Amino acid sequence: MTDWVRLTLPTIVAASIASPAHAVIYLSVDAAQKLAFPAANRFVENGGLTWKAQAGDKLLGLFVVDHVIGKHLYIDYAVALDSTGRVIRVDILQYRESYGGEVREPGWLAQFVGKTSASPLKVGGDIRNISGATLSSLHVTEGVKRILATYGSRAR
Amino acid sequence: MAPLAAVRWRTALAATVLGIGLAHAQDGSNEQDKANLTLSGDAALLKKLEQMEQRIRTLERQLKKRDTRPGEGAHGQAATSAVPPEDEKPAKDRKNAGNSTLPKQSGDQIEPVAAAKPDWATPAPRDLSSKTAPVNAPNSIMGLTDSPVTGMSIGAYGEMAFGPQQNPAANGQWQNGFDAHRLVLLPTYLITPNIIFNAEIEFEHAGAGFDADDKLHGTAEIEQLWIDFKIIDQFNWRAPGIDLIPIGYINEHHEPTGFYSVKRPELYNGLIPSTWKAPATSIYGRLADGLYYTLQASSSLEDFGGDFATRTEANTVPSFPAGFPPGIDGLTALAFARPVRGDFQQLSNDIAAAAQLTYSPPVLPGFNGSVSAYYTPNTTPRGSYADTGILLGRSSLTMFDAEFRYRVPNTGFEARGEYVFITFGNPANLRANNDSDPANNVGKTMYGYSGELAYHLPLGNILSSDWEMVPFYRYTFQNLQTGGFAGTDLNLPTGAGQTQFHDVGIAVFPSPQVVLKATWQKVINHDPTGARSDSLLGGVGFFF
Repeated sequence: MTDWVRLTLPTIVAASIASPAHAVIYLSVDAAQKLAFPAANRFVENGGLTWKAQAGDKLLGLFVVDHVIGKHLYIDYAVALDSTGRVIRVDILQYRESYGGEVREPGWLAQFVGKTSASPLKVGGDIRNISGATLSSLHVTEGVKRILATYGSRAR
Repeated sequence: MAPLAAVRWRTALAATVLGIGLAHAQDGSNEQDKANLTLSGDAALLKKLEQMEQRIRTLERQLKKRDTRPGEGAHGQAATSAVPPEDEKPAKDRKNAGNSTLPKQSGDQIEPVAAAKPDWATPAPRDLSSKTAPVNAPNSIMGLTDSPVTGMSIGAYGEMAFGPQQNPAANGQWQNGFDAHRLVLLPTYLITPNIIFNAEIEFEHAGAGFDADDKLHGTAEIEQLWIDFKIIDQFNWRAPGIDLIPIGYINEHHEPTGFYSVKRPELYNGLIPSTWKAPATSIYGRLADGLYYTLQASSSLEDFGGDFATRTEANTVPSFPAGFPPGIDGLTALAFARPVRGDFQQLSNDIAAAAQLTYSPPVLPGFNGSVSAYYTPNTTPRGSYADTGILLGRSSLTMFDAEFRYRVPNTGFEARGEYVFITFGNPANLRANNDSDPANNVGKTMYGYSGELAYHLPLGNILSSDWEMVPFYRYTFQNLQTGGFAGTDLNLPTGAGQTQFHDVGIAVFPSPQVVLKATWQKVINHDPTGARSDSLLGGVGFFF
């Protein structure tokens, strides 16, 4: 009878103590910008959640923050493009759902590096499906594709 | 403030002004009727209108001021705020689930085209260290329309099967049939960014009905019901509720788009009694790159396979000598042993523990696997007895599962494999070994394994989506009646407990969210009469 209490009380206590006032965040925008453009010394706002990464006056690329819906809830992610419109880096900033968090894995995200607006960006094709995170992997891929379609065709 | 909200404000103001104006006009016409309209009256009206205009301008300024106030509101706890979140999206922008809110132009400049700017394209506050998406994510109702409740969404999955199959109860006669096997609704509600409600409401076999003309013998049930407390990446807590047991892959990810056969993989039809759900609480999180854990406490499996109504009010099995069917037996494994979820009618006090590690090693892209274990100190229900009248004591149950899925990168090849092993603490206390049926006995252990090969073949763009065809073959072996029998029954297994399954089929995915299936299944066991359970089924499944 008291098993439930015995088993759940420690987690309740731990949850109460550890609970921060914000959702679980994996990367702040600032941190993601620095990861994507270590050489940049400024990020100039470019309208909305986009920034031009610059080293002095030299344009290094564009940093875009966006969100897609995973299975049910939003996934915040950031895409860094170089000045020719190729993907330098993709990061998940925030993931809210209980399942499908594997889209955060660096190995999976690394597949986007080098993609351009001409890349197919298809789950099951040039992007691996994540079993157990089918919808999340599908929607993040669609999101990156859309960012490339919007911002990535400068080189051509 | 998002333009939508601003527009709403302005519309409201305009409507008010218009309303007042109309009222005045009507007053005017009344006065005209009376031929009492004077110039001074017009002047008063004009003055009033001027005052209204002034008021509108003031309100607009206030509104603008609030629009440009940095940070505040955008990333706060909008759930408790009466002010709409600053970054709430216009309805048209969030129409499609899974879509981002980016404009869909393909400009040849690095800057987005200024025309038709989405709301986020206006300069945003620099401090975005907390969040970027709306706190209470607006979500969709099955991808069709916006949710009337911010932060709530309803997904769904379901599967139907049809075609001929052998009926072992009719000497293996081939019979044609159809089953609307399940429709599951998945409400999710983001109560706060850290507290998430989740449920699965399931209708099986087209639902339940009571009258003869309903022709229904299904269920309407709560398959999952829990609230998650997202704490940190490494540690999250799922409050007590109804949850899935974290064993293997398919039990937790049982949507029809996750496997290729019409029926669920055989290991999940008995050895792992999917959908295996139970009153449970758990903690889970991420340990390292690609490595996740879950630890769960749940209501124990029970060795009682009888009708729910036959439990006594004392929460025991039906009194001796009525007898009762076993929950664990050598023909159906654990399929009838799932725990009770309702009405405080559990037949034991025992709490089971389960642990799972899932991994997607960064060094092996495309590989996903898991190991899991389940232990309950006792499966024997209260008052359990042998048909000889002796009371049955406790018996523990330990289960171990290891599985992998490997999609070879840059090819269409996929392989899956799984191994399940169950051991019973004291099989002499299992009801199946004491129920006067000599054929359903259980030994000391049960186990099964399966291997599957599939190939993903793109079919090209049809009806504006990319289709994929997945031919597959799966071999499954399971032995539910191993040696080490103990109990009061005679032991005369027919060989039906050792079964092999050959599954050959094709799954066609018109989109990753829809699947059309065809599976031929050959079932072989050691029973002299044969398994007589072959089938050739078609299926339709969806998940969104």
